[in-house]
Amino acid sequence: MDNRRGTFRTGTIAFFLVGPWIGIFFLLGLWIGIPFPSAKESPGLVGIAPKKVADYIHAVIEADRSIYTTEIVNRMQENGIVTAAEHWEQDNALPLPAQFLQRSGRLVAESGPGIRYRLIGLSPMYQRNGPATEFERKALTELQRQPDRPVTGVVSSGKKQYFQAIYADRAVSSACITCHNSHPLSPKRDFKLSDVMGGIAITIPLE
Amino acid sequence: MTENPTPSPPDTRWGLKSKIILSMLLVGLIPLVVGLGMAFWQGSQEIWEISGESFETLATEAARKLDLLLAEEIAHAAHIANDPTVIHELERRRDARRDPKNHTMVPPDLERRWMSRDPDAIKSVTGNRLSALLHEHFTGAHSAPGEMLPHVIRSSTKMLFLTDAQGTLVASMTEHPAFRHDETRWWQGAFNKAAGKLYIEDIRFDNQVKAYVFTISLPVMDSLRYEVVGVLHRVIDAEEFFSPATHVIRFGKTGHVMLIDANGTVISCPLLPTGVPLSDPSLVPLVTPQHPGWVQASSDGHGGQDTSVIGFAPLPKTSRATNGSDTDGSWHTFVWQSSDELFAPIQHLFTWVTVFGAVALVLLASLGYIAAGRIVTPVRQLQQAAQAIGRGELRAPIQINSGDELEDLADEFNRMNSQLKAAFAGLTDQVKLKTQEVQVLQKSTDQILDAVPNPILLIDAQEIVRYINQAARKSFKIQEPMPGTSLFTILPLDPTVQKRLRAEFRVNGATPVITSDIEREKVPRDPLVPSTDHESAGRRAELHIGPRIYQYQWFRLPARPGEEDSIGLVLRDTTDESRLQDQLVQAEKTGSLGVLTAGIGHELNNPLFGVIGLGEVIQDEQDLEHIKSCARDIVAHGRRMATIIRDFAGIATKDASAKPVPLLLEREFDQALVTAQMTVEMKDIMIHKVYAGNTPVLAFPDELRQALVNLMINAAQAMKGAGTLTLTTALSDHTVTATIADSGPGISKQHLSKIFDPFFTTKGQGEGSGLGLTVARRIIRKFGGELRIESVEGRGTTCSVMLSTNSPKAPEGALWTTAAAHSEPEPSHSS
Repeated sequence: MDNRRGTFRTGTIAFFLVGPWIGIFFLLGLWIGIPFPSAKESPGLVGIAPKKVADYIHAVIEADRSIYTTEIVNRMQENGIVTAAEHWEQDNALPLPAQFLQRSGRLVAESGPGIRYRLIGLSPMYQRNGPATEFERKALTELQRQPDRPVTGVVSSGKKQYFQAIYADRAVSSACITCHNSHPLSPKRDFKLSDVMGGIAITIPLE
Repeated sequence: MTENPTPSPPDTRWGLKSKIILSMLLVGLIPLVVGLGMAFWQGSQEIWEISGESFETLATEAARKLDLLLAEEIAHAAHIANDPTVIHELERRRDARRDPKNHTMVPPDLERRWMSRDPDAIKSVTGNRLSALLHEHFTGAHSAPGEMLPHVIRSSTKMLFLTDAQGTLVASMTEHPAFRHDETRWWQGAFNKAAGKLYIEDIRFDNQVKAYVFTISLPVMDSLRYEVVGVLHRVIDAEEFFSPATHVIRFGKTGHVMLIDANGTVISCPLLPTGVPLSDPSLVPLVTPQHPGWVQASSDGHGGQDTSVIGFAPLPKTSRATNGSDTDGSWHTFVWQSSDELFAPIQHLFTWVTVFGAVALVLLASLGYIAAGRIVTPVRQLQQAAQAIGRGELRAPIQINSGDELEDLADEFNRMNSQLKAAFAGLTDQVKLKTQEVQVLQKSTDQILDAVPNPILLIDAQEIVRYINQAARKSFKIQEPMPGTSLFTILPLDPTVQKRLRAEFRVNGATPVITSDIEREKVPRDPLVPSTDHESAGRRAELHIGPRIYQYQWFRLPARPGEEDSIGLVLRDTTDESRLQDQLVQAEKTGSLGVLTAGIGHELNNPLFGVIGLGEVIQDEQDLEHIKSCARDIVAHGRRMATIIRDFAGIATKDASAKPVPLLLEREFDQALVTAQMTVEMKDIMIHKVYAGNTPVLAFPDELRQALVNLMINAAQAMKGAGTLTLTTALSDHTVTATIADSGPGISKQHLSKIFDPFFTTKGQGEGSGLGLTVARRIIRKFGGELRIESVEGRGTTCSVMLSTNSPKAPEGALWTTAAAHSEPEPSHSS
């Protein structure tokens, strides 16, 4: 892990070194009119801006999870019918709201339209839910500071380019913070209600 | 104690001693067996429970441990899959494939050459940069200093290779893998439509590595974790991988932990080889639920058929990834210990308790034997004493000094014995006395019987004469010894009489006493009809034996217990008596006739002389009127004579042809009074009538009037022409009573009993025939009534005539019976 962090650190230094040059090339490109896929203004290519799409999707995801959290999990738990637990398969319980979002994200991925979303955080219980890229890490840091606005940007994997929007995810119910503050694998244990615990990363391929 | 050979009871009977020993044994044995059984059962139950719970905990812990072991392995693989170099290389391959201009990445014939094991081709795969990287990871070059891969992991990993997003082999540590994998389940599972997922494959036999293996496939995601760019696949020898974890968990001789998959295939077990299924398929569903637990199964899964306790628990994290989903197969730990071993302590306990129980039984039996001996010996003594008392042989008192109830009982026996002895002594004396009395009684009875002048015979049911008294012996001329003689050999009778006697004898056998009277009384009879059966009665009760006539009577003798009653026959020689009786009757008849003749003569004389006198008057008389008057007197005298003759005839003959008619009693009374006034002088007699009204009766008017006239005449004559005659009628329920009371001198007591006798009269010669009351009573009885005469000397006589209202016949029975009894003697005298 230290090793990897080290790698990222060197990567960051490299970025700062070459960053201005890239910026110059980018501006030059815009200047000479080379068509470059942009997240902001490309009305000719797609009908709806990716930012808008991400907003829509985020609204749906948020609404679904809210309903699941308040109308299902909280209500069932209050009435003593069924509880939510991490190992819900074995314990005959409901999935936690975070698991609900992750699993729905996986279902979307498996169903194949190309859109992906997942929950990420700077202090995840499982490393797979940490930021995958530097962009994500920075976005999460940014959202800690300014949670009201999503962080968006175009990222690439190899030659593939994607639009990514990361929305701040707050502790919507006391269940979230209780679990995260007590789980043996949780690295951070001082969450409070409405704290920004991480973000919802929505990735849309730009092709 | 003298050991008498006691009457040995049948074999099946249990003696008191055996019973006492048996009951003591049962008292000891039943609680022992019950307690032992309950302890064993309870102990077994607790062992089941405790073992089950322990096994469950152990299975859960083992499952957690194995889960962690696998999680660590997965983390190792993830480390490789997350390596930026790997990701970058695979992204590059993906982009190159998408770029139609660039086909240089994979030589087209590489697959064929790999398959044909071309060394160059193999080298191009196993020797490339990524393969080297795999090697480095595997040998720990990229691991942190403290996280070196254990040797076990390295040696158990049989294959480690990478494919790209098309399933084509990219890098491999060994030359075993195939070239294309896109058709395999594990590859498709891990690729998961480019979304990527951990895929742990169930155990199977791999022909390449010649061992049972399971595999871990991890998707390699691109740098954005957007899509799968390759799959890392690891083939692990299950036996080698798990044995260090499972084989060390042993308890007792047989207790161990094993790992199975959802199909019951053994992944790792210290006893069973990897890859074999559980011996009992029915066990699989019991031990593979999605939660930890324990079960009491009928087999142990290791080939044994004993009931076993099995603890089990799923591997929660691993199961989620096995075969790509949490529903399609899961892995479970299985904890088992042999029942023999499990129950060894309780078996041991059972054996010991059984041994102690046996010892206790022997002790109980011995104690029982001693106790029974102490109880039974005095009881036997008492029993023999009781037998001796029964035979009347007990002389010495019983000696029992047990100091308990038995001793009291023995004392009671002794007391009883002495009392019995005293009682017997008194009894013997009494018996002697009674015997003497009986003998005296018998003797006196014999003497009395012999003294009786009448022959007496005692006969048994077979007509054999048992006793004959002196008189009988004399009468029938019988010698002293006469055993078994029949009645009819003694009494020489003709066969018809014998038959009759036999019939009577049989009847007498059934009814205690028979007299001819009782039989005769059964049927009521008109008392006015002359009795005809006095002749037959005489015939019945009489026997003609030789020249003698005997009257006889049966009587019954109570028999001795167990014998039939005997019947006695008493004979009375009436030969002389009946002869005397005949003579007497003859004399009486003659006497009566004389009186009667005198009476009739006297009665008829007066009118006759009147007639003669009147006739003489007529002869000399010229006056026609006087003649006619005289003729009237003659007629009157004639009528009087006719009446007298009719009176006499009325005694013997009856006019029974006419029927009774309804009458009014008062009217008859008045008419009778007129007739009476004509007959006797009644001028100075005051008539006092007390009538109830019109009282209806049913009678012959002439006869009733005659009876009333007779009574009135009697009354008037009694008063000698002066006094008071009171006539009363009264009606009660069904009876009419007519009373004729006079104020005459009354009837003396000595005459009162005879007044109804025919020809009895207190009047002078010629005044009365002595038949008036007799006739009156006969008439009244004929109507079912009764005539009573009550008289107090000096104060008068009252005649009461009781008749039933309107009923010609009296109710049958009692009235006739008494009437018959009263009238009985008359016919014999009058005839």
